[in-house]
Amino acid sequence: MAKQTILLSYTNVYEDINRILLIMKIIIGLLLIATMSLSATTFSQTITLNVKDVTLKQVFDEIHQQSKFGVIYNDKHVDASKKVTIATNKMPLKTFLNKVLSQQNMTYRIKEKTIFVQPKAPEKIISTLHVNDNGRMQQKGLKGKVLGKESTPLQGVSIMIKGSQVGTQTNANGEFAFPLVETGSVLVLSYTGYLSKEVVVGSETMLEIILEEDPESLEEVVVVAFGTQKKTDMVGSVTSIKPSNLRAPTSNLTTALAGQAAGIIAYQRSGEPGEDNADFFIRGVTSFGTGKVDPLILIDGMELGTTELARLRPDDIESFSIMKDATATSLYGARGANGVIFVTTKQGREGAAIISFRSEVSRSAATRNVPLADPVTYMKLYNDAQYSRSPFEQPHYTQEKIDATAEGLNPILYPAVDWRKELFKESTINHRHNLNVSGGGKVARYYVAGSYAQDNGVLKVPTINNYNNNIDLKSYTLRANVNIDLTKNTELIVRLNGNFDDYNGPIQSGTSIYNQVIRASPVDFLPVYPKTPEFDYVQHVMYGGRADQDFINPYAYMTAGYKDYNRSLMMAQMEVKQNLAFLTEGLRFRTMFNTNRISRFDILRSSSPFYYEATVTDRRTGEYFLNRFVEGREYLGFGVDSDLRQQSSVFYLESAMDYNRTFGEKHGLSGLLVYIMRSGLDSKSNSLQLSLPFRNMGLSGRATYSYDSRYYAEFNFGYNGSERFHESHRFGFFPSAGLAWTISNEKFWKPLKDKVHNFRLRGTYGVVGNDQIGSATDRFFYLSEVGDGSSFGFGKVVRDVETGARVTRYANPDISWETSYKTNLAVELGLFNKIEILADFFQEHRTNILMSRSNIPSTMGLTAVQRANIGEATGKGMDISVDYNHSWASGLWLQARANFTYATSAYKVFEEPQYEKEWWKSRIGYPISQQFGYIAERLFVDDEEVQNSPTQFGGNNIAGDIKYKDVNGDGVISQLDQVPIGLPLTPEIIYGAGFSIGWKQLDFSTFFQGSANSSFWMGGSVTQGGTTTTGPVNIQPFAEGKQVLQAIAENHYSMDNPDIYAMYPRLSTNHHANNMALSTWWLRNGNFLRVKQMELGYSLPRHVSEKLHMKNLRLYMSGSNLFTISNFKLWDIEMAGNGLGYPVQRVFNLGVNVTF
Amino acid sequence: MKLIRLFILTVSIAALASCSKYLDVVPDNVRSLEYSFHLRSEAKKYLHTCYSYLPSFAARQSNQSFFGADEMWAPETSIPSYPSMSIAMGRQTAASPLMSYWTGSGSVPDLWEGINQCNVFLENVYSVPDMDVWEKDQWTAEVKFLKAYYHFLLVRAYGPIPIIRENLPISTPIEEARVFRDPVDEVFEYIVELIEEAEDGLPMYLLNEELEYGRITYPIAVGMKAKILTYAASPLFNGNSEYADFTDKNGRHLFNASYDPTKWQRAADALKVAIDVAHEAGHKLYEFQLTPQTQNVSTITKKQLDIRGAFTERWNEEILWAHSSSFSPEIQGHVMPILMARTETYNVPSGGGTLGATMNIANQFYTENGLPLADDSGWHYNERFDLWTATADERYYIQPGETTAALHFGREPRFYANLGFDRGKWYGRGIYDDNASFHLQMRSGEYAGQRQLNRYSLPGYYPKKLVHYETRHTAPTTFSAISYPWPILRLNDLYLLYAEALNEMHDGPTPEVFRYLDLIRERAGIPGVEYAWLYFSRNPNKINSKDGVRQIIQQERTIEMAFEGERFWDVRRWKTAPLELNKPIQGWDAHQSSVEGFYRVRDLFDMQFSFRDYFWPISENDLVVNKNLVQNPGW
Repeated sequence: MAKQTILLSYTNVYEDINRILLIMKIIIGLLLIATMSLSATTFSQTITLNVKDVTLKQVFDEIHQQSKFGVIYNDKHVDASKKVTIATNKMPLKTFLNKVLSQQNMTYRIKEKTIFVQPKAPEKIISTLHVNDNGRMQQKGLKGKVLGKESTPLQGVSIMIKGSQVGTQTNANGEFAFPLVETGSVLVLSYTGYLSKEVVVGSETMLEIILEEDPESLEEVVVVAFGTQKKTDMVGSVTSIKPSNLRAPTSNLTTALAGQAAGIIAYQRSGEPGEDNADFFIRGVTSFGTGKVDPLILIDGMELGTTELARLRPDDIESFSIMKDATATSLYGARGANGVIFVTTKQGREGAAIISFRSEVSRSAATRNVPLADPVTYMKLYNDAQYSRSPFEQPHYTQEKIDATAEGLNPILYPAVDWRKELFKESTINHRHNLNVSGGGKVARYYVAGSYAQDNGVLKVPTINNYNNNIDLKSYTLRANVNIDLTKNTELIVRLNGNFDDYNGPIQSGTSIYNQVIRASPVDFLPVYPKTPEFDYVQHVMYGGRADQDFINPYAYMTAGYKDYNRSLMMAQMEVKQNLAFLTEGLRFRTMFNTNRISRFDILRSSSPFYYEATVTDRRTGEYFLNRFVEGREYLGFGVDSDLRQQSSVFYLESAMDYNRTFGEKHGLSGLLVYIMRSGLDSKSNSLQLSLPFRNMGLSGRATYSYDSRYYAEFNFGYNGSERFHESHRFGFFPSAGLAWTISNEKFWKPLKDKVHNFRLRGTYGVVGNDQIGSATDRFFYLSEVGDGSSFGFGKVVRDVETGARVTRYANPDISWETSYKTNLAVELGLFNKIEILADFFQEHRTNILMSRSNIPSTMGLTAVQRANIGEATGKGMDISVDYNHSWASGLWLQARANFTYATSAYKVFEEPQYEKEWWKSRIGYPISQQFGYIAERLFVDDEEVQNSPTQFGGNNIAGDIKYKDVNGDGVISQLDQVPIGLPLTPEIIYGAGFSIGWKQLDFSTFFQGSANSSFWMGGSVTQGGTTTTGPVNIQPFAEGKQVLQAIAENHYSMDNPDIYAMYPRLSTNHHANNMALSTWWLRNGNFLRVKQMELGYSLPRHVSEKLHMKNLRLYMSGSNLFTISNFKLWDIEMAGNGLGYPVQRVFNLGVNVTF
Repeated sequence: MKLIRLFILTVSIAALASCSKYLDVVPDNVRSLEYSFHLRSEAKKYLHTCYSYLPSFAARQSNQSFFGADEMWAPETSIPSYPSMSIAMGRQTAASPLMSYWTGSGSVPDLWEGINQCNVFLENVYSVPDMDVWEKDQWTAEVKFLKAYYHFLLVRAYGPIPIIRENLPISTPIEEARVFRDPVDEVFEYIVELIEEAEDGLPMYLLNEELEYGRITYPIAVGMKAKILTYAASPLFNGNSEYADFTDKNGRHLFNASYDPTKWQRAADALKVAIDVAHEAGHKLYEFQLTPQTQNVSTITKKQLDIRGAFTERWNEEILWAHSSSFSPEIQGHVMPILMARTETYNVPSGGGTLGATMNIANQFYTENGLPLADDSGWHYNERFDLWTATADERYYIQPGETTAALHFGREPRFYANLGFDRGKWYGRGIYDDNASFHLQMRSGEYAGQRQLNRYSLPGYYPKKLVHYETRHTAPTTFSAISYPWPILRLNDLYLLYAEALNEMHDGPTPEVFRYLDLIRERAGIPGVEYAWLYFSRNPNKINSKDGVRQIIQQERTIEMAFEGERFWDVRRWKTAPLELNKPIQGWDAHQSSVEGFYRVRDLFDMQFSFRDYFWPISENDLVVNKNLVQNPGW
């Protein structure tokens, strides 16, 4: 779509309205044109002008100067370079406009304080039709109606018959009529703020045409740090995501982020309701400290966490911006180094109440479950494994048991348990509902929204318990944004937002239950034994187990209790905006107070399982008795999970003074000064130092200058401090600067303008910081910390026990924030008014990364590691987005978009042992999440080879175990033989592409998303009982009772299959240290491409919906995670290292959206 | 309008005014190291801190010597429970050393950290205002002793170590923190010096034993000093030619290559002092005092209780020093076989009944005449693998009418007191009539045998010594251990060491040697050395040679100190490890249920000991971090 020029100014009447509000109102205006009829207001302002042969643009500027009305036109349709001559004196504005524009065959409309200029369509039809060559021309009368967003009639739409001078425009009801028109001719509709559309005239005599809003015009204004900027004026690198693109059939916004915007690296590792937040990083991760690496999230200016972002409803979002480079983020000073996500919520618009309701119901099921070997195979393989390692031992499972299990004889004697089937349902049904109302009058405007979502897990609920142990997460949101004009110059905005989660679910997370399934023996016992006469009195569930060794019964684990948690976020915000034009023109002040409270408590109610073992007394008859070997507790006990308890409060104040003015007609100048204060307290402190408030304060500023819409310069700074550092380092200065050049606005570009309507170069450089270094539980590095040491007791009976003291942190007053030096170069390219290309190339050098000193000898005997800001890393990459819009005459329209993000990182300075010989152990130059491991050559061919090879691990290797490469050649495989292997764990490339296509009432969209350049460990990382294990050990059959993955059963080294490249080495019944070492054998490529979203929608024709008293009704069907292309088949590859956890869900969704 | 302007103005002024203090959120009195020495009560916590680095010898995961030698064994799958088995199985690596005091890995304390803590205490304790000088002196002495003891534990495991006399400041440049290893002689010298400094400040008796047991006393200090001097005089550290070429990066020899007999003299003198001091403080060999429950037991059972109680009776008069924070209930649970009758539900503590004693150690125990099995002319050595049925004569040792190996007949009381074996009696555990004692049935499928995976003794013996006689399963689900703090130094240890030192310092055995050995043997219920060897042995001349007596002393020590973790270090100290630890670990075939099947000797593991195993490896990472360190030979 063509570029639109907006001239901004302020009316005499509304002199106090500030710039931001004006911009907001322009947007509102654009939207409301669709919903409201133009009222013939009498305007009192007048124009005095006496010029000769000046351009139309200059006249507009003058109108803008004198009337304070903004003038918007589309320079594709309006040639502002036309010369005009006019002389008036105090001529009323409308008369003046009529006089000027009618000369130019143009017309205008005024909405609020904005004048929209567009070419005048002929009032009357001039029939210049000629007979077609083939003589089959038919002429007929044609009537029609043009509708915009939410099916509101559009007035003043220009409709031309293509290739002719014939045209008309719509009336107040959006109607138009052609007395004569031939079939097959093409109507061209154009309307400022909307996409042009071509419609082929067919046999119908009544047309209903819906115009799509021009996304370009919506994105005209971009939210930047502490304000907004016109997109065409941007120097920094900020990406906006259209909120509607974030609408996915889930109640977690973060899961929709991947591939949606250039510059975000995102992936989702779990599908468990409540735990399914995606991980996302802006331009990758460039710090290897243990501190914060994910972006700062600001919702309506307030810093909040990932979960709060996840609970936002796309329907409530006005804008979603991602700030990427130094100019965009340096105002956030010591907190912006990882990028910023800035979300604003919708505000009310003047007008009658618009009620919008959306309701969705979806069916969700695992995209993929990890296939496990059947019980008979399990036992056979167990015996094989045992035989291959200890050939003289009795087979663990007798042939009789194997045969009987295969035949499916008495399941009590021969259990064969499919744990997954016992525990999980195939699918589950979820709901989401959202209602919002907006409107307002002259004095106040409101936006009120409420939403409700219910997400269920796939856990089965046994009938014996009357409580629900399945995951049931209900989340409610209530939002009220009210804008009040206190005076002509003062606006008060109050935003209230409550966000509540009610969760019911198993005691442990769904993920750990999934993990348990892998660890449960399929053949040793039944999940539950039926009551025997002996245990007739029993009221509890008789869980199965085995007395002689550790075992896991996931069913008991899942059903022996349930947990509730409630989480609430309350946010209250008040903002006052004051126009200070009475001091100097273009000066405004605003201040905002905000407080939010987050609370969460978990209540556990659990019984403790009774375990029974079945002992067979007579093999032939199958007689058995049950033996209760673990006494549990029948009644429920009570507990609270204090680890998850959270109560925190944050207070935030932001005051800003800003100035924005255009001098002459070419010099645009703006300035901004912001003062912020933030203080937070968290009850989840377990030490004095943690309990102290978190604080930031600072002053930030921005100055921009533009010349003639061609040259732009911007300077930003943040000067702010954090409570974490020593007085001498508490405040830091973070400057940044940028330049932009709109080449396409140069005179010499004119000839190219048709083909390349936009060509712009931008470049920025600056410094940003990150104060959240170290772990979240570690602050005040300038102070030493002394904690409790081990305790020791003396005495015989009366004990004298004291807890010792131990230095847990040695003071280092020099520790300060990480500093990031960022460079960004960008090219904007607009082609044929259809394609917009935006490419950013970035480079980052991060210094002062907090590191533990690793080269302090153990003999120093320090009780804590020493730390210092010594690490350095670099990052670089690019992000590219391409947008394409086109409408065809037939009414078909297409929007396509694609984006690509590449971000890689490298260690630059990293304190590591200085290996003299083993240079390959150094991390320098490798990406931050680069994995190190052994090089697995292949499996040993025979035992003789084991003897003749370098010493491996464990000392119990035989043929079929993994053979590692002795990199340093010392005859022993040791840590010194670890080399960088594979790709980093964090993907370096995330890309997405999608299109939406529509025709008449139907629309269809689909979105693909992909990830590349990452590796992950087979088996991933599993956390059980507080310890995390990584790698193949998590899928290692038999050891610790683990099951056999089907893939392992099918392809492992064995006597029958002596394949030295088999997927799995020789089986072992115990932990096999050699084979389980992290090596290339277990690294897999994380590349994938998936159909992330697909949606088919149908909107009721207007005449139908009107009968139903609706403005619009759209029904749609959508699906997510429908299909994935990847080489890895064991589990959903997006889960990568969490593959054994709660699977990512495939969702089929039905929805309806009604607007009244 | 005006109101609003005023409001905004006020707020912004207020906000800006509070700037200076806003980020200063840390209150003044946040706990720092200085607080530890502001008051006696806080300084006392620090005293406990210094003690807290004593390794938990009673904990199965923290004691390297439980499984590191050939005394105990369990199925390989129990390695997570008994990590030191990995050492015995030769899985020690330099990449990640197992159970290393140097880095504090594998459930053992980081002793460098412990030394650092001791130094912090020593630097600051005299600044505590509300303490008397004598108390400061006493605490200082205790901590000096601990610092010396931590150095000893390190030198015993690593050989030459850097001596840490004082803490280096945190700000020390890295280059200066890269210390060198000091020669073993200097290390031992420093340790002894430090203990001697400490001796004056230590009390002879504890003022309040109830509250203070476990604190370092004068007898402990002189006792440990003597033991440490014995280590310094032993072949591993005294003129060890195998390490003659072991030098530092700057060429300094870390071992003294020439044997110095005066080291034995010094050790013997110190041991004599230690023994005298211990006697003066009231220490003597333990004897069981009959209780109302046990008053009717036979003399045989009484002797058994003398032997068993010497180790397991808490704070008995034989114990000089015990680890007052390392208790034994868990290890007892692991040793205690499942003794419940078949019909009862059993639920022993996790790992219960897993910990077996090897046949190697069982065969070290003497015959009833106090002689090695092969040396006793009166004992049925050649028939030892026959199956004999017990009669009423053996009723306090073996269940009459039951069949077991002839090997289990005619053994010394310590064999029966310290080992559980198939058909052997297990006095106590709730039944105090010694005619009705439990006996073990350990063949596969029997109640103390292999009925469950891993919950049985793989070699077919249990180290009963570690279990107090009253420890028992009280109900189907509860296990009640009579807990005792782990003894670190007992009088019998000093007697044995003294006998050893005397034998080494003279050309041949002296009566003093036999006097101290016979004190031990008397308590063990066997004849004196000379009597036994002269009257019953096939080789009576053995007691006349220094080497012969050395062997006798070493075997006596192996038996007397069995399962306490001493043998692991002793065989290294004596340099007999290559001989002793290069034998297969043996046991009965516990997987068999028939008598004949069970009583077949089975090799459980082919144990290997090589030169490098004398000392722990220093981790590769430590060598990279500190280039001035050299690795121990062989690693």
